[in-house]
Amino acid sequence: MLTVCHLYPDLLNLYGDRGNVLAFMRRCSWRGLPVQVREVNLGGAVEFAEYDFLFIGGGSDREQALMAEDLKNRVDALRMAVDNGLVVLAICGGYQLLGRYYRTSQGREIPGLGLLDFYTEAGDKRLIGNVVLEAELAGKKTKLVGFENHGGKTFINGHKPLGSVLYGHGNNGQDGREGARYKNVFCSYLHGPLLPRNPILTDYLITLALERKGYPSKLNALDDELENIANQAMVDRLLG
Amino acid sequence: MNLRLIIGMVAAKLAMYLSKLSGRGRGSSLPGMVALRICPDLLKHYQGQPRKGVIMTTGTNGKTTTSNMLADILEQDGYRVVTNREGANLITGVATAFIKASTLTARLNCDYAVLEVDEAAFPVVTRWIKPSRVMVTNFFRDQLDRYGELDTTVGKVLDALNKLPGEVKLILNADDPLVARLARETGKVTIYYGVRPDADFSNTAAFSREAKFCPFCGSALVYNIYIYGQLGDFKCPQCGFARMRPDIEAVDVISDEAGTKATIYDNSSSGRSVWSLYIPVQGIYNIYNGLAAFTTALSLGILPEKAVLCLTTYTPATGRMESFRYGNKQVTLTLVKNPTGFNQALTVLLAQKGRQDIMIAINDNDADGRDISWLWDVDFEVLAQYPEQFNRFICSGQRAEEMALRLKYAGVPTILLATEKDYRRAINAALQGEGVAVGMMATYTALWPVEKILGQKAERVSYHANRMSSVS
Ligand SMILES: [Zn+2]
Repeated sequence: MLTVCHLYPDLLNLYGDRGNVLAFMRRCSWRGLPVQVREVNLGGAVEFAEYDFLFIGGGSDREQALMAEDLKNRVDALRMAVDNGLVVLAICGGYQLLGRYYRTSQGREIPGLGLLDFYTEAGDKRLIGNVVLEAELAGKKTKLVGFENHGGKTFINGHKPLGSVLYGHGNNGQDGREGARYKNVFCSYLHGPLLPRNPILTDYLITLALERKGYPSKLNALDDELENIANQAMVDRLLG
Repeated sequence: MNLRLIIGMVAAKLAMYLSKLSGRGRGSSLPGMVALRICPDLLKHYQGQPRKGVIMTTGTNGKTTTSNMLADILEQDGYRVVTNREGANLITGVATAFIKASTLTARLNCDYAVLEVDEAAFPVVTRWIKPSRVMVTNFFRDQLDRYGELDTTVGKVLDALNKLPGEVKLILNADDPLVARLARETGKVTIYYGVRPDADFSNTAAFSREAKFCPFCGSALVYNIYIYGQLGDFKCPQCGFARMRPDIEAVDVISDEAGTKATIYDNSSSGRSVWSLYIPVQGIYNIYNGLAAFTTALSLGILPEKAVLCLTTYTPATGRMESFRYGNKQVTLTLVKNPTGFNQALTVLLAQKGRQDIMIAINDNDADGRDISWLWDVDFEVLAQYPEQFNRFICSGQRAEEMALRLKYAGVPTILLATEKDYRRAINAALQGEGVAVGMMATYTALWPVEKILGQKAERVSYHANRMSSVS
């Protein structure tokens, strides 16, 4: 049984982020893998050690602040779980939160959880639009698609990115990289939502979660015709 | 004599004539765009001209319907009204409405201007044109990539309202905390409308609720009853911000294929007046639209009986639950642009009797919102719970594949899913399906082409014929 933690679904339901949890769940159950989701809301009890996959989305500024406040109290447990290989997907605001700080345009530094060594600073214009990345997952090159919409520019220092930008802005519109990776943590600015539109990534996360539990991780193939057509349509449209 | 103004007007009238001649485009915002480019302060020349005032409608959903309903009521009462009927609600659309109705020197001859104004355009339009009444429908997330976050949108409308002269009256939805807050924050005279929160509305769609926290103190709002989205009987346990008892309140709302009925109480009058209201369009949100128009009409001195009567013959604008007939089948066409509106459209589908073919056309042009991830916030999961109600789902438009993908992950069997990017073929497939009714939904830029093709194939249903509500 895989157990999914959806952090603050009550708070962070922007940009169809719940589609990420849905894709993870569906692709497990279509294969007959038992899976359950637990939604954790503000102040609710959470034992990160009990989970196999953790999803954190983004919200408006106010919601983002509430989430940061709440997570601060749990950061040690979260860090331990991450070091133990917990599979994490953090999108947009959730991504920024895992870094060291967010520097506002007034120069004020809002501390993040510092789980990963990167930082974000306010940009002068929002980076918005469709994106195609080239990512390497389990040694295989694959194209990921999504939609970015972020005001902050993130610089990931020594971390690996999720992928390199073939179309779009990416982390900061400058270095051609998008997202960040550390152990089994995957961060990205891409909405879409990311997982349903990129089944290869979803399956990779499922594989990692299974491996960590010591289960055989070879996944049965699914009929992904629709997923592949949708993914390819966007790749063709953007890259011609 | 203002030369820029004259040149701008001439160019705009020419653009209007040419777009009519070519038959391309509906010309509902191009003339305004041309004129504003030449004469940026064009709107200033119209300020103060409507003899009895300007009434604006803003908010996320229902602007077009509400504004058109009010314009209908005023026109039927004999007033001359300038209005932007086709949902062209940016500054260019407002300018076009004025240009169409005025002389080359920008002289108007009208009693009222009834204007639907986009939330993001509201601060800009009100800089030039000062309304005497502002109706606010609701606030939901809409086209995020254009406007930023909802808080920002509400904040901009609030700022603009605060800059209006003191005598402006607000007509506010009492059931939406994001709207109701505007009364306290602006201190303006407010008339509230709302639906009495009876237990019947227990809406299971828990997603895409926007207002979770009190705008004044940040505590989580508590609800006795949800009506739809975040509309309902809300209360802040901390500071006491709560739903006000509306001045005009609807009870016993019933919505079915024939339309929507309710009884309306005037709580503000000492004699407790009661009317029964019938609107020939489906969906509880249309009662809100009707209530807002009714409430505003009353505040302008229109006789309530006349307003009610006028609403019974309301004809929806393109895509606001328009009805068509194809053979024996009822076909409805709905504009979808955000999760709450889409959820409402799904509720209407589920209330239909008999198996339906569904056509959904999703585009991602600027006017649709380029980010379509909001489709994942729509509760398509409810469709999968009633598979026997649906024959086939045909997905069309630029993002047909993504729409099909969304339905697949909602649990709709893939055997029921089809993608057909070509509108005509998609429409044909839906009309010729085995279902007994057809539901069509389209985003903004897909709506016109779909409506045009549908109009050629199917007969438009008019509700005008003998459907009068009893007036008590
Ligand atoms: Zn409060």
